[in-house]
Amino acid sequence: MIENFEKAHGSGDFLELLKRSGHYPQQVLSGIPEKKALDIPQGTTVLAFHYKDGIIVAGDRRATAGNAIMYDRCDKVIPIDDYSLMAIAGVPATAFEMARVLSHNFEYYRRSQLRAMSTEGKVRALSKLLKDNVAMALQGVGGVSPLFAIYDPQQDRAFLYFYDMLGAEFQILTHVATGSGSPMIKGVLEHENLWGTCPLKDRSEGEATSLSIRLLQTAAQFDSATGQARPDDKIYPTIAKITKNGYQFILDDEMADIYKSSMSRS
Amino acid sequence: MFEEPFRWMEAISTRHSYVREKLSKGQPVIGIPYNEGAVILGFSPQPGKIFEIYDRIALGGLGHPADVERLRMTLLDMAHAEGFNRSAKDVTIGRLLQFGLAPALKQNFEEIQRAPYLIQMLLAEINHEDDAEFFCVNYDGYWKKFKQGTVISGDNKVSGRIQKNIDNTDFVSFTLNKSIQSALRIWEEGRKKPALEKESLKSTDDNDELDDEMEGYPTDLKEAFELWNLEVAILNKNTGRKCLYSTLSESEISTLQSEVIR
Repeated sequence: MIENFEKAHGSGDFLELLKRSGHYPQQVLSGIPEKKALDIPQGTTVLAFHYKDGIIVAGDRRATAGNAIMYDRCDKVIPIDDYSLMAIAGVPATAFEMARVLSHNFEYYRRSQLRAMSTEGKVRALSKLLKDNVAMALQGVGGVSPLFAIYDPQQDRAFLYFYDMLGAEFQILTHVATGSGSPMIKGVLEHENLWGTCPLKDRSEGEATSLSIRLLQTAAQFDSATGQARPDDKIYPTIAKITKNGYQFILDDEMADIYKSSMSRS
Repeated sequence: MFEEPFRWMEAISTRHSYVREKLSKGQPVIGIPYNEGAVILGFSPQPGKIFEIYDRIALGGLGHPADVERLRMTLLDMAHAEGFNRSAKDVTIGRLLQFGLAPALKQNFEEIQRAPYLIQMLLAEINHEDDAEFFCVNYDGYWKKFKQGTVISGDNKVSGRIQKNIDNTDFVSFTLNKSIQSALRIWEEGRKKPALEKESLKSTDDNDELDDEMEGYPTDLKEAFELWNLEVAILNKNTGRKCLYSTLSESEISTLQSEVIR
């Protein structure tokens, strides 16, 4: 167990540890023809926006393979560390693996260097993983297009980023959505931000949560790959907030009431 | 020189004496449970005694800082690689010690041409049944598990006295604050030599030498707070997060100081 860890080291880079111990994820598949065009994987809706206390991140629960519904309890909002959340759209295998690598990367850095990685460092870490994954994305078997929400306790500020599949990062100051259902709700988000009762960034947690549920329900009305909530089976969207207290998910027990009130017109 | 068994044993014995002498000034690190988890604490002239290893594992060390750092990094690497390749649930102190660190430490200690690790370690874990467990690891790879709490110290007499008090205290039923305060009082008691012991050791040259070296070291909590740094790490099973580790902040330590020293 100890043989692979004997070299002196101190960079706090978990990816380096994975490479050293021979566990770094495979980046290029051989024998698979490259696709001519870069297909952005679809089949989900995840969204995030700034609200009064931080950022709210929400996602539906459906996983699809072509026209088939494979799973209706998929969690697409994943905690990375105490102060960061990732929402995934794309190939689940790659996305979940990236989340795991990232989570270990941040924790390993914090524990080994005795300080948390900077927000910029965290943002670049995901970018680097996406860049390393370009070959898989081009081959059409591993594309991921994530959202990344971070709260920086030093700056006392929340940051939201959207990434393309090649690893480019874009800071979002208001709202963002990705996945096959996102075109249906991007306009609604913009409309709410410009002409709703108040800008999204000034909304309370309750208002932000309620809007997220309604947006996902709307996306599911028009996009078959976005799953609707199924209260009878206790399947609700995954909603998490990230604030100065770190991340917090809304639990299913609370979701039942919030969902019910969100679906009424009043 | 070492092909004869006696000479090898003699070399090992000398090595034990050498390491013990080097560790003799190591200040106690105490690990105790409380009603929501586990605490590791210790005073030291320089910060850097207690560390987080994994989601539910903390480490306290004494000895040469470079050796503490090297073994800390080894534990971190093993824990993270195992947690990534399998699951966080597969990362336990028992596995890390039994299949990783202990054999390596023993091998290092018995290879008498290599410099030995000057280290003692105390590891605390909240296991997956949510119980606190404590482990002491010696420089030669020998390790032992404790349920009630334990201590490491360069001075065996001090650790003996502290361990006795830990065994006689029902830490599991205490709140965090009460547990820390009790542990600090036990630390203070442990450093005070009983009168009888003082008398019987008065004429021993070795002890005089050690006493000289210990001169200027704090003997009670008031002095310890003034001269040294107190580090307190907590593993709280009720945080609701996967990482149970946290440390007391400077302001929390100040509050604790005013509560403990009246």
